Amino acid sequence: MMDAGRHPRIELFTNSQVENVSGFVGNFNVTVRKKVRYVDEDACTACGECEVVCPVAVPDEYQEGFSSRKAIYIPFPQAVPSSYVLDMENCLGTNPIACGKCADACEKECIDYDAVDEVRELEVGAIVVATGMQPYDPTEMDEYGYTRFANVITSMEFERLICAGGPVEGHFIRPTDRKTPKSVAFIQCVGSRSLNRGVPYCSNICCMNTVKDTLLLHDHYPEMQNKVFYMDIRSFGKGFEDLYRRSKEAGVQYIRGLPGDIEEDPKTKNLYLTVENTLNGGVERHEVDMVVLAVGLVPRTDSEQIRQMLTLSQTSDGFVMEAHPKLQPVDAPTKGVYFAGCVESPKDIKDSVTQAGAAAARANILLNDREVRIEAITSIIHEEECNYCGRCVRVCPFHAITPANKKQGVFPKVVEAACSGCGTCAAECVTDCIDMRHFEDAQYYAQIEAILAEDPMQKIVAFACNWCSYAGGDNAGTSRLQYPANVRLIRTMCSGRVDEDFILHAFRKGAPMVLVSGCHFSDCHYIDAVTWTQQRVEKIWDKLEKKGIRPERLQLEWISAAEGQKFAKVMRELEKLRQAVTEEEVAFTVDLLIREQKPTPKRRTNRDTLALLN
Amino acid sequence: MPESVKFICLRCGHNFVADYTPKVVEERTCPKCGSNSVRRQKGKAAEKAAD
Ligand SMILES: [Zn+2]
Repeated sequence: MMDAGRHPRIELFTNSQVENVSGFVGNFNVTVRKKVRYVDEDACTACGECEVVCPVAVPDEYQEGFSSRKAIYIPFPQAVPSSYVLDMENCLGTNPIACGKCADACEKECIDYDAVDEVRELEVGAIVVATGMQPYDPTEMDEYGYTRFANVITSMEFERLICAGGPVEGHFIRPTDRKTPKSVAFIQCVGSRSLNRGVPYCSNICCMNTVKDTLLLHDHYPEMQNKVFYMDIRSFGKGFEDLYRRSKEAGVQYIRGLPGDIEEDPKTKNLYLTVENTLNGGVERHEVDMVVLAVGLVPRTDSEQIRQMLTLSQTSDGFVMEAHPKLQPVDAPTKGVYFAGCVESPKDIKDSVTQAGAAAARANILLNDREVRIEAITSIIHEEECNYCGRCVRVCPFHAITPANKKQGVFPKVVEAACSGCGTCAAECVTDCIDMRHFEDAQYYAQIEAILAEDPMQKIVAFACNWCSYAGGDNAGTSRLQYPANVRLIRTMCSGRVDEDFILHAFRKGAPMVLVSGCHFSDCHYIDAVTWTQQRVEKIWDKLEKKGIRPERLQLEWISAAEGQKFAKVMRELEKLRQAVTEEEVAFTVDLLIREQKPTPKRRTNRDTLALLN
Repeated sequence: MPESVKFICLRCGHNFVADYTPKVVEERTCPKCGSNSVRRQKGKAAEKAAD
């Protein structure tokens, strides 16, 4: 932090908030609100005279409320810049001035009660999101008595108590009698790995954090008895197993089982833990002086704001989604945006630093290139057919299409650097004037026609998105799972690309069954493109029904890349449904759809597209 | 505010009631067969399903 603060080419915005982000890769415009400190950070020498005279005392957030701070304060000892900040919510008031002691005490005269927020507009080429996470609040797990029993604390609170720069200068005490406890119990997986409360995933760091804490306690207080209640200790990582072994050798008792209940002795304030030891099957009762809850890590509650500003996808656990979990692990699906640290998933310091280095390097590569390289699968708008309706602008998950203006004759325009190629605009365009490079309408029609050229009654036409359902099919294949061989997959980058007319064309050509499949909503690689797929399919079901065609013949399924089993199961189910489709109803469908077919849509070809580009 | 709405699974034919918030697009799964081909019943179909 110090290094970053001193670096000549890094401008650090502390106590600031990103209010808006517009633009695209290489050309982002960022609005930052630098919140007022009321203290000139350049002039302040952090002498502390103001703090001495401030009459206000409030709980110190950094010390987890174990000590107090003044209304004018330095947030934490190593804060950068090393300058005071005035907490106006707790200050006695400056308008009119109710106290003013800090300003009187400041020799440098760096306190200005009339200062206001500063709003800065920045032009940047790349953005690294490193907004972190927050610890799980265990209050809802009433059986552990957090907030009911003062001697039950979280691992974050433990850090403050054991820290030399903490409220008790590292002399570990228990809150009720301020004496060094004789025994401490750590409870693992608090809020993690639970389908009922907290979060279903493993928070990654808690096991090793506890192992480290037990060793710290043992080093400082060799007589102290420490117990760890766990499901299983996950100590993978360089040197971690060794650390775990050292903890056990130091006499720390590891008990496999999570306490079902904690009770407090009202007199001694000691705590009683009831636990089923799953190694011997016995129910045990342990008395300890203090309990530390190893709380999990959860996404920040305010992360939604930044996610929307940067049009970021999110996984089902609430953390942001990478462009590709293996090949682009620090890239966001939005080009020019990178991730570092726990905003992406819970991780320890080493992994965070590694990821931060990778994100910085990725941003560097981008900024040092003379040109931005993009995948050649972006959308093209054929302006001559556009009616300025603006639907493409509304549905684009990446805000990559600039608005149309009929009065001024301005057509919507695809910002190619921002377009990720989901094809939702092409599928939703009412005049069919949008196409996608390399995933053109003409190519899809050709594939549908080729599939159904022979024995159409025997075929199932399945549109599968590149990232999830098509990969799910791969997974089924590599796992050697059996599924009917008459399923014909048509790959789209996103299920959002599947145009209504592709589906109708398949029925028109005699397909008994059509499937549209894509990523689960939480896995969508194109932010929310999948929601447009669902809405479109729902509309087509209504239309089919009105036409007298059974909507059941169009199926919808969300299949992830890991769901090979599901892929095979769905295909088997589809085959059963296909067998129930009669030749008569297919003949009726074909006849009706041919009669209703609009004048043959202009089937654009590569050559047309190339002509447009030149 | 979510309202209770009738859905039909186009895979297995199962009718069920689930919360539905207008204008909110949610991933839906049939509680019986696990399919995502779940269609909201409207108008007469919804009334028929209620019987
Ligand atoms: Zn079903």
